Amino acid sequence: MPAYQLTVNGRGRTIDADADTPLLWVLRDTLGLTGTKFGCGQGICGACTVHLDGRAVRSCQTSLKEAAEHAVLTVEGLSKDGSHPVQKAWIAEDVAQCGYCQPGMIMSAAALLKRKAHPTDHDIDEAFADHICRCGSYPRIRKAVKRAAGGVK
Amino acid sequence: MTSRRDFLKVTGAAGAGLVLGLRLEAKPRLGETVKAAFQPNAFLAIRPDGTAQITVPKVEMGQGVRTALPLVVAEELDLDWSKVEVVTAHPGPEFKAMNTGGSTSVSTTWDTLRKAGAAAREMLKAAAAAQWKVPVGQCRTENGFVLGPDRKKLGYGALAEAAARLPVPKDAPLKKAADYRLVGKRTPRIDGPAIVTGKAVFGLDVRRPGQRFAAVLRCPVPGGQPKTWDDAKAKTVRGVTAVVKVPTGLAVAADSTWAAFKGRDALAATATWDEGAAKEFSSAALEAKARAALTGPADDARREGDPAKALAAATKMLEAEYSFPYQAHVTVEPMNATTHVGADTAEMWVGSQSGNRAQERAATAMGLKAEQLKVNVPLIGGGFGRRLGTDFSTEAAQVAKAVGGGPVQVVWDREDDIRHDLHHPATLHHLRAGIDGAGALAAWTHRIAGPAVLRSWLGGQKAPSQATTEANGAYDIPYAIPAIAVDFAEVEAPTPLGWWRGIQIVPNVFARECFLDEVAHALGKDPLTFRLDLLGDRGIVKFGRDAADIRRLKRVLEVAAEKAGWGRKLPVGHGLGLACHAYDGRTYAAEVAEVSVVKGRLKVHKVTCAVDCGLAVNPAGLEAQVEGGIAFGLSALFSQITWEKGRTVQTGYHDFPVLRLGDMPLVETHVIPSAEAPSGMGEPPVPVAIPAVLNAVFAATGKRIRKVPIEDGLI
Repeated sequence: MPAYQLTVNGRGRTIDADADTPLLWVLRDTLGLTGTKFGCGQGICGACTVHLDGRAVRSCQTSLKEAAEHAVLTVEGLSKDGSHPVQKAWIAEDVAQCGYCQPGMIMSAAALLKRKAHPTDHDIDEAFADHICRCGSYPRIRKAVKRAAGGVK
Repeated sequence: MTSRRDFLKVTGAAGAGLVLGLRLEAKPRLGETVKAAFQPNAFLAIRPDGTAQITVPKVEMGQGVRTALPLVVAEELDLDWSKVEVVTAHPGPEFKAMNTGGSTSVSTTWDTLRKAGAAAREMLKAAAAAQWKVPVGQCRTENGFVLGPDRKKLGYGALAEAAARLPVPKDAPLKKAADYRLVGKRTPRIDGPAIVTGKAVFGLDVRRPGQRFAAVLRCPVPGGQPKTWDDAKAKTVRGVTAVVKVPTGLAVAADSTWAAFKGRDALAATATWDEGAAKEFSSAALEAKARAALTGPADDARREGDPAKALAAATKMLEAEYSFPYQAHVTVEPMNATTHVGADTAEMWVGSQSGNRAQERAATAMGLKAEQLKVNVPLIGGGFGRRLGTDFSTEAAQVAKAVGGGPVQVVWDREDDIRHDLHHPATLHHLRAGIDGAGALAAWTHRIAGPAVLRSWLGGQKAPSQATTEANGAYDIPYAIPAIAVDFAEVEAPTPLGWWRGIQIVPNVFARECFLDEVAHALGKDPLTFRLDLLGDRGIVKFGRDAADIRRLKRVLEVAAEKAGWGRKLPVGHGLGLACHAYDGRTYAAEVAEVSVVKGRLKVHKVTCAVDCGLAVNPAGLEAQVEGGIAFGLSALFSQITWEKGRTVQTGYHDFPVLRLGDMPLVETHVIPSAEAPSGMGEPPVPVAIPAVLNAVFAATGKRIRKVPIEDGLI
């Protein structure tokens, strides 16, 4: 059984687990990075969203083998102190209700703004089409994305 | 000597600063006597360093109690909000009322929290006055300091020890609302920074040294049991450490969640089942029984005047059948609990809305007394009533005990969560309206047929309040109609049921407010004018166990209509619809929806909501509840649970859709200024959203939708 090498939040990691293990469980159970959430395991709810080489991906649908040799960024690695523009905008708009889905939302927002500094409403709809917030924090997510627009390098 | 009337007491040890224990009155349960001894069930501590710790006796699941309740204390005490630290209580003898549901957290604690804050404030003032040798009347408080004559100023921290030695004042004066500087202002959620950095700990994020993870293979038919299985293959899955029979199925423990899931799937391939009593259950059969029950015997929830006579004398009668499906909660954080069983004690981490019941039942399941089980309640990734159930916490205790050795986290996956939810049941509604010779609404009947949530909740018992509970939202129809009959015909169903955000009020108000709209249109009347006329010039009106102030209901209806521009010219294809309700006679909500339908596809553009929930403690939190409540209501227009051969047909978010960001309307919230005590806001926005939207659909298209979910999602 080969061990896999990947970079998580800038730090090299060696993971000894089955190739088909979803990245989600490597992060949560092996590395203890519980900011990335389990919601459905089917790639539908978006709670497990992380960045793989800067792209937003569903960590429950990304195997350890696929993630190996790539750079993974989780909500814990977005900033040291909550100072990422998206995190600041999330606080300013008081987005979270229960908060469980929010790390995934924040990772998608950060990836969107990196890709497109000033997204349209349609871009925002598209970027969050595969995310679920059962509490209904959506109006504030839209506001927070717009507030953070232009601030993500 | 303390008496029942005392609710405040200094409880801290020397050196701890000022620690006040306070007792929030929980309704004694049946057969429970209230002990005379002082048992504090909330704590307020001012530490020598000036920080304040407030223990919240309710659980946080997104409704904002960890912010709102401390705000009430901080207001009366003039605390520096930036120095407030909030902890969630542990269920147990000190905290007996952790049950969090029914939109009651603020309303049931408001008085006590205010009085506690005021008492502490007076004690700190008295301590400062003694030190300065000035009359206490010359001292005042501001943002964590006591201020005295000649610019004297001392921080609360420096005064806490001295204050703790003073008597607790009986009737400390409460602030006037006009002097509030925290209550009524927009305060961001206290957990926000932890949430956005991923540091917030939800139940599923609990990690203990040596922790294992477990999945349970359950029969797809609720109540079924495994008959035969072969654990050989499951045990070869890397990381699996145990496969054991538990009361709810077969538990697979492993060193990771993924290994537990894989082991469970390997086991599933080998299992045969005794599917139990529910194995023939189907939605089609239930619906047929419910339809038959629409004309059979029923239990009265309200009867006024002589509806049969009034209907017989009516010159015109309207009738309609409305239908609402089974619904699931689908909290994004699936059910889970972590248990560490020791020799004669245990500890559990569980996101429970019923911490006390969860503690009692889990302890019993492990052969322990409640006090031998310490329960921690982390943040909850969505409740909506699902986590009032103790099925998952009790199961987690059983699994931990069965697999032995160290902490075990039982994790449900999405399919477990949907199949073994405590679903909110389907109902059929038959409504009739009799119009008299003068064109007035003279008779109203509303028959509801379906399974009873309350009976399932009480373990199969029929409570005297069953009919009013199941007809909530229907029996308290607020309109002045001379003859009214609202009743409930129970249809038994074999699977466990539970409460849902907005409870039975959601389907009942949907049927009531849509049918009333039908009556308005049939009489050629404007739906707003028709409602306002029917509400009439009345004050407080009593309906059975509840009473509502009709003036407050009229006011929210008028404000919502005015702010939404009711009656204005709309873009082609758009329609406006409205609905209103007095929630348990406590919170008044009206919503106006603007919709359009293009190629059958519904677009909700905007919902304008007016609410009167008494004083709004935290308007930012209140608005979030309105936005979320509307999202929850709109989501239900497209989702349902159906049953075939005892199984839910739906297994995940792919076939039980939840509203997405792109479908969320603009929400505009108008809070009616009020000096009344706060009354609760978690649920009231939900029930009115559905009829407001469907009445708007009628206005836009002339199509009357009487069945939820909207068939094939198309109008």
